[in-house]
Amino acid sequence: MGASDGIELLGKPRGPGSDTMLGTPQYKRDRCVTGVHGLDEILRGGIPYGSTLLVGGTCGSGKTTLAMEFVVNGAAMGEATAYFAATEPSVKLLENVRQFSFFDMDMVDKGLLNVFDMDVTYSWLGLTKATFTMDDVNALVKAITDIVNTIGVTRLVIDSVTTLCYKIPNDQLIRDFLFTLGKTLATQGCTTMLIAEITSVGMSHGGGRSLWSSFGVEEAILDGIMVLGDIDRRGHLLRYLQVIKMRGTDHSRAKYALELTPNGVMLTPMLKWGVDV
Amino acid sequence: MTEVTLNSSVQVRCGASNAFLVTASLIEPLITEFEMQGVYISASRGALELINTLNEIGVATENVRFIDCVSSALLGGTESTFPNISFIDSPIMLESILLRTLYHLNTIPGDSKFVILDSVNALAIYNEDRMLAEYLHTLINTFRARDVLSVIMNVPDQTPPGVLANLDLYCTDLIDRGQVVIS
Repeated sequence: MGASDGIELLGKPRGPGSDTMLGTPQYKRDRCVTGVHGLDEILRGGIPYGSTLLVGGTCGSGKTTLAMEFVVNGAAMGEATAYFAATEPSVKLLENVRQFSFFDMDMVDKGLLNVFDMDVTYSWLGLTKATFTMDDVNALVKAITDIVNTIGVTRLVIDSVTTLCYKIPNDQLIRDFLFTLGKTLATQGCTTMLIAEITSVGMSHGGGRSLWSSFGVEEAILDGIMVLGDIDRRGHLLRYLQVIKMRGTDHSRAKYALELTPNGVMLTPMLKWGVDV
Repeated sequence: MTEVTLNSSVQVRCGASNAFLVTASLIEPLITEFEMQGVYISASRGALELINTLNEIGVATENVRFIDCVSSALLGGTESTFPNISFIDSPIMLESILLRTLYHLNTIPGDSKFVILDSVNALAIYNEDRMLAEYLHTLINTFRARDVLSVIMNVPDQTPPGVLANLDLYCTDLIDRGQVVIS
């Protein structure tokens, strides 16, 4: 049993950069390297393969850019990727993302980056009702996993799962939908980002309910939670990213300032004296 | 300035009256003599005014990326024809300044790069002392780790004592109005 098996034994010489604050773990899961500046460092190497993440954020916090960069970087490495757009038409999405240097339209033409309009998927499945039944939800999960299977998708984004969940009438059904989707995609080795639109980030006061998700049920089921938000620094909004939870890896839980540059997302630890200004 | 060490951080102290002359006398040898490229963080004055003045005295600025922290506060201040200027909303967005600097450094070819911060006292107008000291600590260590020369302009009598003390501690060199007193 050696390093090539993805397993390290205690007492073996450690490679450079393998140490964490808590020491080197005995077993290290294979990672899906996001390629987003700073994010893989925060996650100590990347997202554990096959994880399903909730990427929750307020409007304008950079969720779509981050998710698009995640799939595009996978496509650049030759992986098949898919992006389900539910909040804006795919044409508009691609037009917005063309300004970033990481994006290359060739990836779309070569079939490495597959962008689907959620509305088209609904019509294709005959899901024209305002509210979905359990059968509708199952049909949707099957359609998504069929696409993942057929194309061999290893990175998937649903932007946003909030829009989709609004069609699901109760929390239990939302929970079932996300659990089934996450489980199915994990068995296919697909690392997934589910985008969630939230109005504020953090812990609610009094109610004891966390504000990482839209419906309050997503966070317990999924493997990871990443939140994006804004800090109001004397009238100026500074974007930040924080990883709240990530199963299968040690990770930083600090707030990181996020800047959208022509090269995409860039992250740096937020100044400690600047978090609560 | 007769020699530079890439991973050093130089504090340049100047007076309020000779700040521009000191700036010009620093940037000119970096560009022409040492053939370096870099980033100029402009918090004292608008980048457009700075470029025009430097060009007037014969200092070429094409290979310098300017991060303008001032002009966004002025109506029409961000209308510029120079492609090497990028604007930051406010000098209070210290992390944005750092990330923009890193972005520009990534776009500059070669290994010989500098960052000029103009100036600590200008940032002190907008930022609380502890946060500014933390920012300078981060900035200096970030660029030293990347083998980038950092030059930090400062008018000492307009800089909070706590920030000044930290700056003295973090910087590897000190130039006082053009004369090296500690090396």
